[in-house]
Amino acid sequence: MAGKTIVVTSGKGGVGKTTTVANIGTALAKRKYSVVMIDADIGLRNLDVVMGLENRIVYNLVDIIEGKCRKQQAMIRDRKFANLFIIPAAQTREKTAVKPEQMKELCAELASEFDYIFIDCPAGIEQGFKNAIAGAETAVVVTTPEVSAIRDADRVIGLLEADSLKDIHLIINRLNHRMVKKGDMMSTEDIISLLAVPLLGVVPESDEVVVSTNRGTPLALDRGSKAGLAFQQIAARLNGDNVPLDTAQKVTLVDRVKRFIWS
Amino acid sequence: MDSHDGKTEAGNLGDAPPLQIKANRQGFTLVPAPTAPFEALVGYLEKRFSESRDFFRRAEMTLDLRERPLRTDEIALLHRLLVDRGQVRLVEVKLGEDLALVMDRPSERQPFVPRVSPRPRPDHAALVIHNTCRSGMRVVSDTDCVVLGDVNPGAEVIAVGNVIVFGNLRGVAHAGAGGDRSARIWALSIEPSQLRIADLVAVPPRGGKPAAKRYEIAEIQDNLIEVITLKG
Repeated sequence: MAGKTIVVTSGKGGVGKTTTVANIGTALAKRKYSVVMIDADIGLRNLDVVMGLENRIVYNLVDIIEGKCRKQQAMIRDRKFANLFIIPAAQTREKTAVKPEQMKELCAELASEFDYIFIDCPAGIEQGFKNAIAGAETAVVVTTPEVSAIRDADRVIGLLEADSLKDIHLIINRLNHRMVKKGDMMSTEDIISLLAVPLLGVVPESDEVVVSTNRGTPLALDRGSKAGLAFQQIAARLNGDNVPLDTAQKVTLVDRVKRFIWS
Repeated sequence: MDSHDGKTEAGNLGDAPPLQIKANRQGFTLVPAPTAPFEALVGYLEKRFSESRDFFRRAEMTLDLRERPLRTDEIALLHRLLVDRGQVRLVEVKLGEDLALVMDRPSERQPFVPRVSPRPRPDHAALVIHNTCRSGMRVVSDTDCVVLGDVNPGAEVIAVGNVIVFGNLRGVAHAGAGGDRSARIWALSIEPSQLRIADLVAVPPRGGKPAAKRYEIAEIQDNLIEVITLKG
C-alpha cells in the first residue's frame, strides 16, 4: 500500500511546524512505521537541528532534485530508529531552486518505499509553500491560540482548499490552559468555530520543548512530558487510531488539594 | 526665469513638472508653473490622467492661475480636458488673490469608491457563495451577494446591492459599492473588522464579546452606519 504524504504547514512562522514534524515522525517510527521527513524550508533549514542530525548532512533535497545524488545518499537515518529518515534542505540555496512538479515526483517515488512522508513546510504562502504542498494529499495546519496565527492559518486553509487539498486537519499548539480559564487566551472552541476544520489535537505550552530542541531529542520520546504525550496521541489519531480528544483539562493532584482547602 | 514670490522648486529647475498638483482636504489644486508653455501643461495633464485614471476620478480640483495667467480659451480647453479625460470636477479657478471664478458648486467630500460597475441591476440574480469566505478571499458582485457561511477576518465581500451573510460576518463587507446608500448588510451576527455602505465606513466599538446567535442588519441612518439587532 502506498505511503501517506502529509504536509505540515501554518502560514505564520514559529508556531511549531518543525517541532510537530519531528515529534509525530518520531512517535510513528517508534511504533515501527517507516517514516521519512523532508525539510522543505530551503535556505532556513532547521529540521536537522531539531532531530540532532545536523552534523551528518552530506547531500540535501536540492541535490536530489538536481540529480547530483540518489535519494538514498541524501537520506539521513535517525540515531535511535532505523526506520526513521530525514531529507534535509539546502542551506545555501533559495526556494526557487525547486519546482512544485519536482516535489510531486519525489513524493510519489518515496510513497512506494515508506509508510509516512512528512513535509516540513516553510512559513509564508509563496514559492516555498507551493513547493511543499505540491506532493501532499493531506495537510496538517498548526496554529497557536493567538489572533495573528489564526488569521494566517485561515488564509492557508483557504489556499489549500483552493488547491483541491481537502483533507485538512488542525493542531493547536502552545495552549496555556490557565490563560484560557482566565479569559486571556482564545479557547479551543473559539479557534475551531473560526477555522472550521477537524481538530487533530492540542499540544500544551511547555518549557521542555526548547530543551528538547536544543538537545536534538524530540519530546515524543519522553514519557513524562505532557507535550510529548500530546504529540504521541496526535500521531496515533493521524494513523487512524481512536484516541478521544482531551476536552476537559486534566486536574493535577495539587489543584485537587487546593480546592479541598479553599472550599 | 524665477518665481515672483521667491518659492523654490525642489530639484533642478529643468526637471520641475510644468504643473504641480497639490492635495489638501477639499481636493486638489493645480498650479501651473509660471513659465511653462501651454502645450506642456496640456501634455503633462494628459500623461498624468492616463497613468492614474482612477485616482483623480470624481475629485474636486481648483485651478490656481495666480502665478500664471491663462487666456479664456486656454482655461476652457483645460476645463474640457479635466472633465472629459480625468472625470474631475473643476470647482474653482483662482485668477488673483481676491478674484476667483466659481465653475461648479463644491459638494461634500466624496471618498474613493471601489472599482465596481455603478449600474445596479435589480433584475439580475444575486451572487451566491456556497462556502465560508476565508481570510484573503475577495468577492465582488454587481448585484446582491449572499454568503452561505461565515466571512472570516481578512475576507472582503463587496456588492453593488446588499450583502447577506448566513453566518458570522467578521471580515469586511461593503454594500452599495456603487453609491447606493439604501443598501443593507444582513448577517446572523455582525462582528466585522469594517462595515462599508456606499461611501460611509464604520468600525465596530472596541472590546466586549458579542452575544450568542442573533440576527443583525446594518444600514445608514442619519448619515451614520447603524447596526440593528433582531433576536431570532
